Amino acid sequence: MDAWLLEYLPILIFLGIAIAISVIAVGASWLVARQKPDTEKGSAYECGFDAFGDARSKFDVRFYLVAILFIIFDLEVAFLFPWAVALGKIGLFGFWSMMVFLGVLTIGFIYEWRKGALEWE
Amino acid sequence: MFAIGLSHYLTVAAILFTLGVAGIFLNRKNVIIIMMSVELMLLAVNLNLVAFSSFLGDLVGQVFAMFVLTVAAAEAAIGLAIVVVFFRNRGTIAVEEISQLKG
Amino acid sequence: MTQTFAFSSLVPALPELFLTVAALALLMLGVFRKEDGCRQSTLLAIIAMAIALVLTSQLGGSVSYAFGGGEAGLFVMDGFGAFTKAMVLLGSAFTLGMSGTFLEREKIGRFEYPVLVLFATVGMMIMISANDFMSLYLGLELQSLSLYVLAAYHRDNLKATEAGVKYFVLGALASGMLLYGASLLYGFVGTTSFDGLAKVFGAEHAVRPSLGVIIGMVFVLAGLAFKISAVPFHMWAPDVYEGAPTPVTAFFAVAPKIAALALFTRVITGPFGDLAGEWRQVVIFLALASMFLGAFAAIGQTNIKRLMAYSSIGHVGFALVGIAANSVLGIQGLLIYLAIYLFMNTGVFAIILSMRQKGRLVEGIDDLAGLGKTHPAMAFVMMVLMFSMAGIPPLAGFWGKLYVFLAAVESGLMALAILGVLSSVVSAYYYLRIIKVMYFDEALEPFDRQTDRPMRLVMGLSALVVLVFTFIPGPLLVGAKAAAAVLFPAAAG
Repeated sequence: MDAWLLEYLPILIFLGIAIAISVIAVGASWLVARQKPDTEKGSAYECGFDAFGDARSKFDVRFYLVAILFIIFDLEVAFLFPWAVALGKIGLFGFWSMMVFLGVLTIGFIYEWRKGALEWE
Repeated sequence: MFAIGLSHYLTVAAILFTLGVAGIFLNRKNVIIIMMSVELMLLAVNLNLVAFSSFLGDLVGQVFAMFVLTVAAAEAAIGLAIVVVFFRNRGTIAVEEISQLKG
Repeated sequence: MTQTFAFSSLVPALPELFLTVAALALLMLGVFRKEDGCRQSTLLAIIAMAIALVLTSQLGGSVSYAFGGGEAGLFVMDGFGAFTKAMVLLGSAFTLGMSGTFLEREKIGRFEYPVLVLFATVGMMIMISANDFMSLYLGLELQSLSLYVLAAYHRDNLKATEAGVKYFVLGALASGMLLYGASLLYGFVGTTSFDGLAKVFGAEHAVRPSLGVIIGMVFVLAGLAFKISAVPFHMWAPDVYEGAPTPVTAFFAVAPKIAALALFTRVITGPFGDLAGEWRQVVIFLALASMFLGAFAAIGQTNIKRLMAYSSIGHVGFALVGIAANSVLGIQGLLIYLAIYLFMNTGVFAIILSMRQKGRLVEGIDDLAGLGKTHPAMAFVMMVLMFSMAGIPPLAGFWGKLYVFLAAVESGLMALAILGVLSSVVSAYYYLRIIKVMYFDEALEPFDRQTDRPMRLVMGLSALVVLVFTFIPGPLLVGAKAAAAVLFPAAAG
């Protein structure tokens, strides 16, 4: 086989394992568990939305607010991964830098909390 | 057969960037599409940075990409917030309707 | 490599750190207080800026770096930085001081306003001190994101929110272009550090820069031209100036403009200093187009905020003439020009903020009619400022223009200087028209007499500076020269 195709072998293996695990998980529960479906259990749960409807329907603007706040904090946390990996090398200076960063994030969080952005009603 | 090299990444990034710029200027429908175009531009930049970083064996590009990623999120949040207040006042976000200020 | 860390290495960034902490503290203070204290927060923010100004003035003596080892530091503090940061802080503090009354009357006085202004100011200071494309980008975005929100600050007002949308879209486009250029430069040179780039381009055996470097540089310059609103990247400025609430417009016209021009100067003289042959044509074109569009497009305007937008585009053109000269004299001229511009513009906006008839805001040039009779003092200040903006001797504006044009002539850009003078003559027309409206047109309705103290203070101060500069130019000239010399270490040595 060509060398460059060989580079993609890990992806093929990954795909195989993923498919195998999902088949095992669904299959095992189908074989082992007791099945007593009703309409509520059978319907897909998707945050209160109809799972198979028109995606362009209007929905509450409050979802948008929560989503946006989540996006901001979620992406800032991306800095934690390289920090955690390198923590042994960057020493106390690196540790406290991240603490300052998290402190600033916390101030942002306190602000949105006090402003009532997290209240649903 | 061929190997994926630096120039392929650069070409993809250039195409994405051009698509983003074209999306901002040619789009006549919706402000949300403009915001998606802006994100596309920033993603093209990230692709460039990471490709160069790997090519040069220099980490600075990846660090830069991290910063671009996070700032882009903040930018998207602020942009959406502004679009929402505009929608409250105007009742639409069609690009042709952004026309109060002219001259 | 475990690093030992000394707090003394943060000293060059002390003003920025202080302002950041102050802004965060004000945010917490505001959100934990029951009543809405816009006025108190504004006062505290101005005090914080004054302290930062004192700190800045202590730091400009020598070149020092922070956030990284030696010359590879992300952050540089030098005489140029201290001079321009002082201007930015003054501009922010003046415009913030003028805005309190307006915001309260429009019922949009919330404590977030001074906090946003503080964050924008920190962003500008980081921009000015950037020594790497990374810190440049972060400073620029901190400034821009705060400004987007400020433009749409009057959130129930259609025009203000529209201004916010337009500013956001074009600002994001500009940031994207700048970043794309920076990524190309990084790839083709191998570093994002300004000193590193300068070393590569200035090396003795430097080959002609590759196409990728040239494209990257043009993208970076285009992105920066957006931020200083130079023609042909100016289209956002008139709309945003007109739509944004007036105190925000005053802020936009002064501090971010000075900061962006300082950044432009630093990028063009630092990393690109040895590529002058490549960028000079671009800067000359930007300067010429800005001067002429600023002069001709302003003629037909009826809204004074829009007029000020075109006026500021023209002023950016004149300032760019100083950059095009690419010499100590040119940058000195630029700094003098910006310092005078700072005082002229805050003065004019203090007057625009006082334009109220029966408690209602007016923005038309015709509404100034008869000001000479109804408010003689205000009309006099406006007249002085308009004459100065038009560049009529012996007022300060004349000297600002003279220095940049002299620098251009000295650098062999005779044609640019002559065309600049011509456009200055054209622009005199619309400045003089305002004086004519004030003194020779019949007043329809006088303005309300309710200018508050900070407003009168700013008006008086700006008129005083503009009048007195001719007689005592010394301190500004010396300061600007020292600041400019920092950017050209080769010429000084």
